[in-house]
Amino acid sequence: MRRGWGALACAAALTLVAAPLAAQEKTGNKPGFTLAPGTATIVLMRPEIAVGAQSTGGSYEPNADWTDQARENLGRALAEAQGKLGNRVVTHVEPVGQGAATAHEYRALFTALADSVITYQFFPGNRLPTKKRGDSFLWSIGSEVAKLPGVQGADYALFVTTEDHYGSTGRKLLQVFAAGVAGIGVSAGVHKGYAGLIDLKTGDLVWLNADLAMGGDVRTPEGAAKRVSQLLEGFPGKPVEAPVAPAAPTKTAAR
Amino acid sequence: MKGLRIAAIGLALVAAPVLAGNKLIPAGQPVAVAKSVLTVTPSVEWNKLGARPGRNSETWTFDGDALNDLTFYGGIEPEQTLFREVSKRTKPLPRVKATMLVTDIPTLVENSYRIALDTPLFTVEGMEPMAFAGKPGIRFTYSFTRPNEDLPRKGEGRGAITGGKLYLITFEAPRLHYFDAGVAAFRQVANSAKL
Repeated sequence: MRRGWGALACAAALTLVAAPLAAQEKTGNKPGFTLAPGTATIVLMRPEIAVGAQSTGGSYEPNADWTDQARENLGRALAEAQGKLGNRVVTHVEPVGQGAATAHEYRALFTALADSVITYQFFPGNRLPTKKRGDSFLWSIGSEVAKLPGVQGADYALFVTTEDHYGSTGRKLLQVFAAGVAGIGVSAGVHKGYAGLIDLKTGDLVWLNADLAMGGDVRTPEGAAKRVSQLLEGFPGKPVEAPVAPAAPTKTAAR
Repeated sequence: MKGLRIAAIGLALVAAPVLAGNKLIPAGQPVAVAKSVLTVTPSVEWNKLGARPGRNSETWTFDGDALNDLTFYGGIEPEQTLFREVSKRTKPLPRVKATMLVTDIPTLVENSYRIALDTPLFTVEGMEPMAFAGKPGIRFTYSFTRPNEDLPRKGEGRGAITGGKLYLITFEAPRLHYFDAGVAAFRQVANSAKL
């Protein structure tokens, strides 16, 4: 019986802790930023895509075939969406040599920046005190980004990162077992998707859509299309589409 | 009663990363850091993270520890580690030694990072003698990359050993933009250190 109480108390403690996670925000805008349709040139950076499996223990095992499939499917879906964003979107022509390495490093910096926004801005309980003032949403990759080969002449750069860890059979069985027998929540799979718009004059992040649990199986064309539509949901300057289903209101960080 | 205790432990274990409040460090006021006698006076505002990398350390940041990370190690005693052990049995962290010299500090940092971050990509770029908090000390620079991330970072450290204890401040950030943007604020904090 004593053990029973312990487990119950532990479960209660877990529930209490899980609550703040539910209040996570997913979209942020730099205060005062607006983008009218047909006024800007946006350069679409090559998306950073990684797909793999999640082992029973939770570790990530990259899968080259899945990553190739996702690259092809997401590439096609992005190309299709590109024309419907309200502004001129051009694909970044990947530079050669050192320029290619720098472009890759900038994409990695964008991913780290988006991770930081999720951890220290989108979770209100964990927000950094200097980021709490007013409607502050001040994040940047630095104005030096304007020197990157291939972005000259554009006003904004659109960065996209996706990372998917599909739960292995073992992981899924563990999830079912843990939920049914031990009453513990074990996550199966990671499906993170970040899309962010960088002002090329300042390097400031003016819009970010970032979620660690996105929908759409990127290994299939249909899933990739769904993922891209989620990534670009609420994209600044995008003409409003007729909603298929009433969408739940999105919480905005800049408020 | 036991149930309550288990609940409290469970809560503490799980809640630490989420509920550990981040605090504002105001500019211009002396502040004791890393639960020690080490005091610094920052000239700009910082955020102190609720999560600590080890028992006698604390981290300050502007934009999150992945973008700019200033960590204080306040009086690490002999036979203690810089960080919490990741796997004490299979990969024990190096320990501070009573016989350590200041020139051993960069090696201690290097070997601790290689284990804690599980990365082979760590290089000490340079070192030179420089007083720290009025004691004979060292300044060193380094670079490293975390595994599963193609984002090279640069770091700079200032440290001294006094009374057998290690006092150390490090700053690290991605070499693109963030290191250069934050290193002057770090140097100001390091120069203001008092023991």
